[in-house]
Amino acid sequence: MSHGTESRVRATQAPVEIGRQVIALGRGLEADLEAYVQSGRTVTVKVYGRQVESVSVAEPRGLGLRAVRGGMTGYAFTTDVSREGLDRVLAEAESDLEASDSDPFAGLPSKPAEPYPDLPGLWRPGTSLLLLEQKIALALEAEAAALEPAGVETVEESVYSDEEARVAVVSSCGIEVETEQSYSFVYVVAHAGVGADRQSGLGFSAHRDPRELDPEAAGREAAGKALALVGARPCPTGAYTVVLDREVAAALLSTLAGALSAEAVQKGRSVFAGKLGEMIGSAGVTLVDDGLDLDGVATSPFDAEGVPQQITALVEKGRLKSYLFDSKSARREGGTARSTGSARRDSYRALPRVGPSNLVVASGSGTLEELLQRVGDGLYVEGVAGLHSGVNPMSGEISLGVTGRLIKGGSVAAAVREVTMATDFAGLLDGICDVGGDARQIPLHGSVCSPSIAVRGVTVSGA
Amino acid sequence: MASGPAEYSGPAPGLAEKILSRALRGGGETSDLFIEERRSLSLRLEDGRVENVISGGDLGGSIRITTGDSTVFGYVDSADEDSLLALAAELSRSGPGRPRSLPTLAPVAVSDGGSVIVDPRTVEATVKSRLLHLSDEVARGTGRDIRQVMAVYGETRQRVWIAGSQGFQAADDRTRVMLSITVMAERQGVIQTGHDTLAHHGGFELLSEEAVGELAATAAERAILLLGGRPAPAGRMPVVLGNGFGGVLFHEACGHGLEADYVLKKSSVWEGRRGERIAGEHLFAYDDGVAPGMWGSAGCDDEGVPCQRTTLIEAGVLTAYLTDRLRAAALGLPLTGNGRRQDYRSLPYPRMTNTYFGPGEATTEELIAGTSKGLYAKSLSGGEVNPATGDFVFAVEEGYLIDGGRVGPPVRGATLIGNGPEVLKSIDAVAGDLAIKAGTCGKEGQGVPVGSGQPTVLIRELTVGGTGLA
Repeated sequence: MSHGTESRVRATQAPVEIGRQVIALGRGLEADLEAYVQSGRTVTVKVYGRQVESVSVAEPRGLGLRAVRGGMTGYAFTTDVSREGLDRVLAEAESDLEASDSDPFAGLPSKPAEPYPDLPGLWRPGTSLLLLEQKIALALEAEAAALEPAGVETVEESVYSDEEARVAVVSSCGIEVETEQSYSFVYVVAHAGVGADRQSGLGFSAHRDPRELDPEAAGREAAGKALALVGARPCPTGAYTVVLDREVAAALLSTLAGALSAEAVQKGRSVFAGKLGEMIGSAGVTLVDDGLDLDGVATSPFDAEGVPQQITALVEKGRLKSYLFDSKSARREGGTARSTGSARRDSYRALPRVGPSNLVVASGSGTLEELLQRVGDGLYVEGVAGLHSGVNPMSGEISLGVTGRLIKGGSVAAAVREVTMATDFAGLLDGICDVGGDARQIPLHGSVCSPSIAVRGVTVSGA
Repeated sequence: MASGPAEYSGPAPGLAEKILSRALRGGGETSDLFIEERRSLSLRLEDGRVENVISGGDLGGSIRITTGDSTVFGYVDSADEDSLLALAAELSRSGPGRPRSLPTLAPVAVSDGGSVIVDPRTVEATVKSRLLHLSDEVARGTGRDIRQVMAVYGETRQRVWIAGSQGFQAADDRTRVMLSITVMAERQGVIQTGHDTLAHHGGFELLSEEAVGELAATAAERAILLLGGRPAPAGRMPVVLGNGFGGVLFHEACGHGLEADYVLKKSSVWEGRRGERIAGEHLFAYDDGVAPGMWGSAGCDDEGVPCQRTTLIEAGVLTAYLTDRLRAAALGLPLTGNGRRQDYRSLPYPRMTNTYFGPGEATTEELIAGTSKGLYAKSLSGGEVNPATGDFVFAVEEGYLIDGGRVGPPVRGATLIGNGPEVLKSIDAVAGDLAIKAGTCGKEGQGVPVGSGQPTVLIRELTVGGTGLA
């Protein structure tokens, strides 16, 4: 593949222009209209056995159109942004709207009074500047680094991926915004040990500019994690103080944040309903939704319905300070709340829903080793399995498969696998007894910046 | 919607030859073209209202060029000749070696799209909306503790056209309809949920008012039942795993590891074990892509290979792996029709279709009666496996303690954890009540519809991960 095609993104019609066009065409519908338009370019390279396994390139684009009339909401999406395609999507959104029930709080946000935040640097030139060969080299470097340590048997995959994306929101209620972003990452899965002792480990490095990636560190991380688990066995059943590795902590907090959505609270499916202003965890817990953090992958001047993103304190020293709102859930509060810029969508195929941007857990102190020292005895949880089925965001119950190492006398000891840990949101937050100072940006399950966290009294089920 | 827009009429005759010839001009051993049109409609109810109705259309094509073990892949959100030719030209630049000529392609093998008695597109949206309201009413009528009902109706029609430089052309037409319901109950601050889904490869005929009402009642009763549940036990014990969605056990504990991409990379615990006894003689397992109406069934896979029923375990012996074209060729294995992809934006991988254990002779009552203390996991909600280690985990949605050979009180929040090769060996008995449920399987960031099923089975010992310490 040659480098010459990299400029094609900019040559096609800008998303905001497509948005304007469809809103103008829909003037006759007598409905409030909002277009969400995406276009971009993405490259993914997979290597295996020190050779290229696959190279994928694409320039995805698409349009989603929300139509609201008399509290009824319809939504239609398409990949066809020709005039014909736009006419069709308008007709479909209108007919969808007529099939929905009226909701007094449905509607579109109006043009925000405040200016949008200025966030320089969301797009970095590296994704366009690097040649495909250089991108392949990044994946190969990560693989080589993972294969180097003795005991690593194989690298299942080493992947480089980048994306440049432009997103626009244009509405008949006065919103007209566009942003352009770039993002790149490498990740590696390494295996160590043989036969029934085989273990795997994941390492990654992510940055808006691929020239800033550290593929060697990602490879070493994958190898180190796999090697640490070789020889793992179930540990005895009992109540443990667990130290959640920062990636595990990030994954759990990301699921928990779903229950901080005002929509979940209003609809009675959050365990945090009615707890505003109350202590919901130990004083060690401070959690912020930071939509403006330049290091976070979810950073943008505006959310999925064109409302400015912001910084929202969710939990301060254990006390619940705020829920997350989109425009509809804010409207439902009857003037006492405003959108926190928390409308999210996975793509133009989906309606906005309420969710966090970048979650930031306040750091404690010290390195991981110092945290383990302070904890003394327990279980260092390095991996969890079954997140999508083992965490119930409504009941708050958590029961997950776990891998890690025992903590004995302040240091890591025998490796552990085939055990579960079980608690619930309240138990997790109340049980937080210490927090490390080793925070890292983790873009694996949503976008969370978290340090390692120690939690007391978690049931571990094993041998 | 009922009065849908003009449909894509499929690729013009000769288009595949043009695109594939262009793709192979830069070298490359094989190339294939995948064109897909997908129309979908969904309605979502919560708070007693159909809050939104979403419809959409995707039309696009992807091209893959393979040389040795190396693949170049790209897609365009369009099926017109110029876009596809431009993509073929861009991708073919990376190929080494001399241009390759294309053999004459066989005529398109059109799969029988399966039975669609009532085309969902001919059913008015108000009828679909009424079904969601019905499920809401039935669920709320089940008890005073019901706080919230979420119900989703979905229909898709996916048409695919596939051609490969090996000389084949195929087409398939897949209509799928589903309705799922999640019910939330609350009592004295304790929240529990119940969930169930009706789904098939076929038309709207699946969703009678009776069937939907029954589904809603099942989900609601489960949520209410669990309110009175005690915390699940923690520790190792015998487990009677219920039929239907208990099939997640085979899917996670064994099925993923039989997918030939893991086998090729020696990243599966089942690699090199074909022909080996891996379970008791009473155990049979299948991947069945042609089971009529099943959620994971299709006419052909996404590489144009006809779907089939593959015996994976025969009388306890591992007999086959699941392949796509790339891995079948690399491993010298037969094609099994398991080359699947989420959509035209994704590369195909070996994926399961509908997997299940064959029925045995016992009854569920006998399995429970033979267990003095253990867990009856009647329904599971999902799971995950690490194919490299075989370690799996899955969540129990509806579970009961077994005490003295009888079903005891319900328990909540249980997870089962184990190791694939070990758990297959510890399946001691199999009942005759085979049932298969619909789900979505995720791999490589792609979700595909699958069926998972089994009859009720007895597992000698498994780790149950609850909070209840003895």
